[in-house]
Amino acid sequence: MKPYLKPKAMRMKNIFKIIAFVVYLIPTVLLAETVEKNTLVLGVKYYNDNNAVQHLVISAKSKIDGKFQKIANIAVKVFITSDADKNNLIGTGITSERGEFILLIPPAAKTEWAKSATQNFVAVSAATKLYEEARGEATITKAKIKIDTADGKIVNAKLLVLTDSVWKPMTGVEMVLAIKRLDGNLNISETATYTTDSAGAVTGEFKRDSLPGDSKGNLVLLANVIDNDIYGNLSAEINVPWGKPLSYTTNYNHRSLFARRGHSPFWLEFLAYGIIIAVWVVIIYLVFQIKKIVKLGLE
Amino acid sequence: MDKLREDKIIADLLPQEFGKQGKIWVVCLLFFAALGVFAYGRQLYYGLEVTAMRDYASWGIYISNFVFFVAISLVGSLITAVLRLTNVKWSTPLTRIAEIIAVSAITFASLIIIVDMGRPERFYNLFLHGRLQSPIIWDVIVITTYFFISLLLLYFPLLPDLKIMIGFKERNGKWLQKLYVFLGSFWKNKAEQFKITDKAINILAIAIIPVAFSIHTVTSWLFATTYRPGWDSTNFGAYFISGAFLVGAGGVVIAMYIFRTHYKLEKYITDDHFDRMGKVLVLLALLYLYFNFNEFLVPAFKMKKSEEDHLLGLFTGEFAPIFWFAIFTSMFIPIFILLFKKGRKPIPAFIAGILVVVGSWFKRFLIVTPTLLHPFLPMHDVPANYHHYIPSWEEWAIAGGSLAGALLVITFFARIFPIIPIHETILETESHENEKHF
Repeated sequence: MKPYLKPKAMRMKNIFKIIAFVVYLIPTVLLAETVEKNTLVLGVKYYNDNNAVQHLVISAKSKIDGKFQKIANIAVKVFITSDADKNNLIGTGITSERGEFILLIPPAAKTEWAKSATQNFVAVSAATKLYEEARGEATITKAKIKIDTADGKIVNAKLLVLTDSVWKPMTGVEMVLAIKRLDGNLNISETATYTTDSAGAVTGEFKRDSLPGDSKGNLVLLANVIDNDIYGNLSAEINVPWGKPLSYTTNYNHRSLFARRGHSPFWLEFLAYGIIIAVWVVIIYLVFQIKKIVKLGLE
Repeated sequence: MDKLREDKIIADLLPQEFGKQGKIWVVCLLFFAALGVFAYGRQLYYGLEVTAMRDYASWGIYISNFVFFVAISLVGSLITAVLRLTNVKWSTPLTRIAEIIAVSAITFASLIIIVDMGRPERFYNLFLHGRLQSPIIWDVIVITTYFFISLLLLYFPLLPDLKIMIGFKERNGKWLQKLYVFLGSFWKNKAEQFKITDKAINILAIAIIPVAFSIHTVTSWLFATTYRPGWDSTNFGAYFISGAFLVGAGGVVIAMYIFRTHYKLEKYITDDHFDRMGKVLVLLALLYLYFNFNEFLVPAFKMKKSEEDHLLGLFTGEFAPIFWFAIFTSMFIPIFILLFKKGRKPIPAFIAGILVVVGSWFKRFLIVTPTLLHPFLPMHDVPANYHHYIPSWEEWAIAGGSLAGALLVITFFARIFPIIPIHETILETESHENEKHF
């Protein structure tokens, strides 16, 4: 049974409770106010690789100490259309150490994708301890590149843009014609970029003779539209036998002083095994001499 | 030679039971050996973390100890082979001392290498999957070969002595008698047996010299084939061999003195032996000094940037006290003592021998570790203790334990077998007497 308290005493007790609660809250509120959150910038880039795989690259950066820095571990939701509604969600991801992640546009987004010639994408991240909530958008017009070759190592590429459900050539767009190499692309000639003509086409001459290709001399020819404000990043590629066949040579199986086990030079094996055998034959001979001595002693 | 004289030699040279001093000596050695085993147990349990070896000083006093053991083992070939083949007769009483030092040292050189391994249970892989191009494999092969040759060189001259000892059944006791019978009951002093033995010893004396040279040259190549300041030298093989002969000879002088005084062998290990061994020591110390001049003066004259830190560290820096201690104790002071006839008396020669051996141990440490602490690329972002190497107590205990173990092998050998060859001593005495008659 609770002890009986007078109304005044009860009131005082409640006042103390409120004071204690406020005292508890003050530092929490003060501390929360002292943490200044940084502004986060979300980037959305569209890629159409060889007219087959469409994907987005979502990046997160923030200005720290006067410089933009890549921000890792930011959870981002990506939506198709500009409405960040859960029905339009096409994927989520967390930025890597490089401050970005790749999101393939899923087949489930096909209906939304097919509605219009232009497409919006929205990336949204919730507020964290260090960063405010952020939103990034990209709007692209659907386009594709066709690539072909002609005699004399001529490269032809054409930019087509979707206009009212029809693919039409687009003029005045910068395009790069290049060869895919291991760590980047190499332009097919000294010309850095080509601009599409009224037929949406560019023509370049391949001037990289003796470029190592695969074992049959095949090279991968690329036509790229890079970071275009309207079309995003487009690419198309084709294999051409214009390279020098690569014969891969390795000294892995060669015999040398620095080779792996079992691949020592013959002269070393001859010398080493010769010495070992010579010395151990002497030792074994001497052991047999002991046997001979034993035999003589037993006679 | 009359029978009485022969009996006297046999009685003098037969192995003796441990006296009070001997027992104390054995207990002390057993204590240090046990401490080493305990420390090694800790190392096996906790891993090489218990040592002070880290990313840079990855070879510490274990490898120093290994090089020291390999060096001292070379004395077997010097005394037994070189002096025998050059027909030096005075070395006869010292041959067995030299050989047992060689056998025990090479045994513990092999063991200390296993101790230095982080995963000793994988040691057999060295034999199964060895890479012939690696000097480490050459070292494994050469050490194994040298061990067996040294063992044979110890055993063949022992055969006639075993027959003598088998004759003292009462004195030997049950177990020793069994051992002697097992090892040498077939020896009947037949002329043909002597012929085979003499031939075998001659073959061994010839075979052991290139093997002995190989063992220490190859050990030096473990370092010299690595491009590091202090190791990148074409002089290393000769430098190591000269140092090895010096420390081995120093070890023999110490053993000579101890056996002479403890077993009252003054008639057999005479002042003349100390005088001659003293001269040998001076010669070897001068030779080693010459190689040291080569090894340090030439790079110091050029003072290449990459070598500078290492050389200055030795001459005036962190390792200077040990460096100058090693140079003076292993070379200058022994040379100074032994140059004088009085210095070649047993006690001063014994002191010189101790200085040589102690100085030589530290010299091995200076060859191994300072180089590792002076890599070509500067040390960045590493804990402070990575810049220095101060061995842990476990390392000291294991290194000390291995030294105690080697001494125990020598001690027990001297307890079981005659430390001076009895049969050869009798023959030499006879030969001396015959020379006097004619």
